[in-house]
Amino acid sequence: MMCEKYEDKLIGLLNNELTPAEQAELEKHLTECQGCSEELAGLRDVWEMMAEMETPEPSAHMRVKFQAMLDTYKESVEDTKPGVWTSIRERLGKIWQLQTRWPLAYSLVIVLVGFGLGYWLFSSGKGGEQEQQLKALSSQVHELKQTMMLALLENPSASERIRGVSYTSEIKHADKEVIDALLATLNNDPNVNVRLSTLDALSHLANHPEVREGLIRSIEKQDSPIMQLAIADVMLKLQEKRSVKSFEDMLKQKDLNPGVRDKIKQTITQLI
Amino acid sequence: MLRVKAGDLDRMGLLFERHHRSLYGFLFHMTYQREASEDMVQNVFYKMLKYRHTFTGQGEFVAWMFQIARNTLKDQAKKNKNKVQQLPAEEMEDRLPGGMSADEHLEKKQDKASLYKAMASLSEDHREILTLNRLQELKYGEIGQILGISEVAAKTRAFRAMQELKNIYSKMER
Repeated sequence: MMCEKYEDKLIGLLNNELTPAEQAELEKHLTECQGCSEELAGLRDVWEMMAEMETPEPSAHMRVKFQAMLDTYKESVEDTKPGVWTSIRERLGKIWQLQTRWPLAYSLVIVLVGFGLGYWLFSSGKGGEQEQQLKALSSQVHELKQTMMLALLENPSASERIRGVSYTSEIKHADKEVIDALLATLNNDPNVNVRLSTLDALSHLANHPEVREGLIRSIEKQDSPIMQLAIADVMLKLQEKRSVKSFEDMLKQKDLNPGVRDKIKQTITQLI
Repeated sequence: MLRVKAGDLDRMGLLFERHHRSLYGFLFHMTYQREASEDMVQNVFYKMLKYRHTFTGQGEFVAWMFQIARNTLKDQAKKNKNKVQQLPAEEMEDRLPGGMSADEHLEKKQDKASLYKAMASLSEDHREILTLNRLQELKYGEIGQILGISEVAAKTRAFRAMQELKNIYSKMER
């Protein structure tokens, strides 16, 4: 029988894997141990015989098959490169669909509810409210314009005062304050141009009875021939018969411009 | 193989030239079926291409290749459970080298046939390790890697396999 501890050494010897020191030690043991040397002899016989064991040659066909496989594989790798991307995209698409289908439905519902709610609110209560707000706003703008106009009429610059007067054309519903201010300007403004434009502005407000009365009263206060002529035209246009008396009074003035005198006479006859 | 892993797939052709014979030899001695072995060589190279990213480069390429070959063998064995293994002895007899006297030739032929038979009757573990060790001439370190055992365990197993082979063979010769 051989010694168990030399098993590895014997197989190492057959494989030529021993270091010189190991080999020397083993050889020394083999001279002393018959069991081990007999075992080695038997193993070596078989070992040497195995070297002559043959393996049949693989057929030449195999190389061709391998090359074909390699080529196919390379093609498939090139094919799958974009394929990988599309599959990822497909997967993302699936996840997208899965994740958004319900939230999308919910958000749609919410948007529809929002529209419905908005329509309901504006068509009922809120619509009126907004209209009121709009009215309030426009009346505020109106007031602002009036205030601005009144302020402009106090302006020392004649052109500014004319600008103020021109605002009255934008004021749809002139109240008493505006009419009073305009009449005061018509009677008292030192600049004839301002008074002329005031007369023009007031003639557009002639549907107010106080404007008409104010204009008639203003006839005797006008001393400028241009104003006298202009106011005569306005009275003719308004067909204001109550102004005849004022014009007759004007004719009594001795220093009246002859041109104006003719015009006034003509106006009186036309009015009557 | 690392170049193959990096995408240079043509390098696989070089590896095929270098290793397909030893791979075929191993598979043949484990199965004794030529066509099946050829198919398995093909299969192993395909798997090496497909799973090239799993090659770390830390171990030997040969070890990795034989690991894949062993797995392929196991898969094949599952498929062929019912098939009887065909002994190669008769087949091999025609392939012996000539140039010897008739008696010498006959004697050698018989010896060899016995050895093949002895080899074929070994347990699979033992046949495997001797194929790797003696026929493919791998070192025990590599064999250990392939079989997933230590180098020392590989040596011990190889020794036991040699003993078994020797005993079977000597019985036949008697």
